Amino acid sequence: MDVKKEKILTDEEVDILQEIMNIAFGQAASDLADVIDIHVILSVPFVKILQAPELPGYIRDEIRDICNISIIEQKFLGKFRGNALMVFPSHAGKELIALFGLEENMHPDADPAETLGRETLMEVGNIMIGACIGKLSELLRDSVTYSPPRIIIENHPCDTIPDSQLAADDSAIVLKTVFSFDRGSISGFVFLVTSHESIQWLKEALRKFIERYE
Amino acid sequence: MIFAQIFDAINIGLVILDRDLKVCKWNRWMEMNSGIPAAEIVGSHIFDFFPNLKTRKFLRSCKSVFTFGNFCFFSQKLHRCLFPFKTTGCFDTRFEYMQQSCAMGPLRDENNEVKYLFIYVQDVTEAATYEQKLVEMNMRDSLTGIYNRRFLESKLREEFKRHKRYSRPLSIIMFDIDFFKKVNDKYGHQCGDFILKSVSSMIASQIRNVDFLIRYGGEEFCCLLPETALEPALGVAERFRKSVMEHDNNFDGNNIKVTISLGVAEIRPNISSPETLLKKVDEALYRAKRKGRNRVEAMI
Amino acid sequence: MQKMIRKILIVDDSPIARKMLKSCIPRDRGYEFYEAGDGREAVEKFRETRPDVTFMDLTMPVMNGYEAIEEIIRIDPKAVIIVVTADIQVKAVTKVMKLGAHMVLKKILRKEEVEDALLKAEDTLRKFS
Repeated sequence: MDVKKEKILTDEEVDILQEIMNIAFGQAASDLADVIDIHVILSVPFVKILQAPELPGYIRDEIRDICNISIIEQKFLGKFRGNALMVFPSHAGKELIALFGLEENMHPDADPAETLGRETLMEVGNIMIGACIGKLSELLRDSVTYSPPRIIIENHPCDTIPDSQLAADDSAIVLKTVFSFDRGSISGFVFLVTSHESIQWLKEALRKFIERYE
Repeated sequence: MIFAQIFDAINIGLVILDRDLKVCKWNRWMEMNSGIPAAEIVGSHIFDFFPNLKTRKFLRSCKSVFTFGNFCFFSQKLHRCLFPFKTTGCFDTRFEYMQQSCAMGPLRDENNEVKYLFIYVQDVTEAATYEQKLVEMNMRDSLTGIYNRRFLESKLREEFKRHKRYSRPLSIIMFDIDFFKKVNDKYGHQCGDFILKSVSSMIASQIRNVDFLIRYGGEEFCCLLPETALEPALGVAERFRKSVMEHDNNFDGNNIKVTISLGVAEIRPNISSPETLLKKVDEALYRAKRKGRNRVEAMI
Repeated sequence: MQKMIRKILIVDDSPIARKMLKSCIPRDRGYEFYEAGDGREAVEKFRETRPDVTFMDLTMPVMNGYEAIEEIIRIDPKAVIIVVTADIQVKAVTKVMKLGAHMVLKKILRKEEVEDALLKAEDTLRKFS
């Protein structure tokens, strides 16, 4: 199939997606507050369509104000599929430990500082990504499964984000939101990178979604 | 349903809970490892049988799966195990309980609503044992069994950070077996190895369990003494010196006496890095050698 | 029963969201619709048209929903404002109610909820008139 340089999504489709994102992330924030018992702010998500090789550069530009970062990656698999990346400033791990109360789960002979910090980042990443994707796929009437979260970058300057390994002509829908917890003391980004294969399905799902309101 | 047989055939634990966290399914693997038959636990609240599961993380994970339909993971690294089962099997393990890697996810009805959650339990004791052995090997000296230089370097960095935060004292003793080359030349390398083992095990038996004994290289050793200032550290060093001097090393019918020279240093405000501390203690050791060996010298 | 609601102002930065909301409002009652894409525009439209009911999104560019509610209530303390948002964390809900909003509806809207909200709004209008 030849995609060429034509628009991947029409303007209307982008509008619909944007509103679905608003709703999904709004609901995610409010349900998250209930699940984790912490006030969560998720900014209005930003939708952008990129060619895969532009992605690392885009992420670098978006987060260049933060010195050192850690990135959690999680794959999601449904008709809607792709990669979710959660970017934290490196110091966030420590502050999140208390907020998420994982100490009580830690086995006494686990290496305290390191293990706990990493596990907390993965825990928070997992739940934030799960909330965003979960709400989104619910609105689009899909159901997704997830790979375990992994730390792909740990405590590195943000200009070390590796260049993409995605195929050069793959396009990606990038959804960005800024989140913050606990009156803004900790914040970071979530990027959802939708794989090329799910775009046809997404177009169809968007059409079905808006049909209910015609 | 033919496919349902997989439920009992598979070599992992499978548990299904309803929205009230009551057990709906408990597969054969779980029966076998927990000793609790399905008939007994099905219909009961999971916390009635496993009260320790009731942590913030577990409750949050259940809530999250029912709300978002996402997956939650319980790594062996952090949790060690979700369900405390005694280790079975014959391989050498230091773990009292089976090491588990677990995950939790949603089961939906035809309307896409999350009705149940499943938990799977994977026995990763074997891998965790290997990992632990590797970690252990990576920080131990293979001849003497005490810590190696790599361990010292990372431990010192850690201790420096701790010192910066809490400014608690920390001392280090560096010592060296006098005329070790002569022992090797006269009695052979096997005897040299024997002396290294004998000296290190004797010193190891004298230190507190918060102290660390390290083979720094060749016949050179270090002893890290947390919470210890220079003055008491000098006392410890003097004890080491005496005990080595008085000890009989019996190898192949020969009683071989050896002595050690020691340098002692402590962290001070002007010592800003592990490297400087090592340099200071090395200088002290060198002075002990120059002043005639079998003696203790403090940093200046 | 006399019909109290004539003019409805819909405020949301997303044209799709405005369309979705409109599709939930009964078409056979002859309502007049006005729309605004941000808080600033909403305040202007409110001043111009004096709607009976205003549906208000919260997160918008230029001026957000909170500020818009504040200004509209300053213009008309009896204004009936229905907040429409996906994020219904207690904090946000308390805040808009304090500012003078009439009620909060959760996105995604269902037809029955919107009809119900309009009935309640009508009740309020009747009490005040």
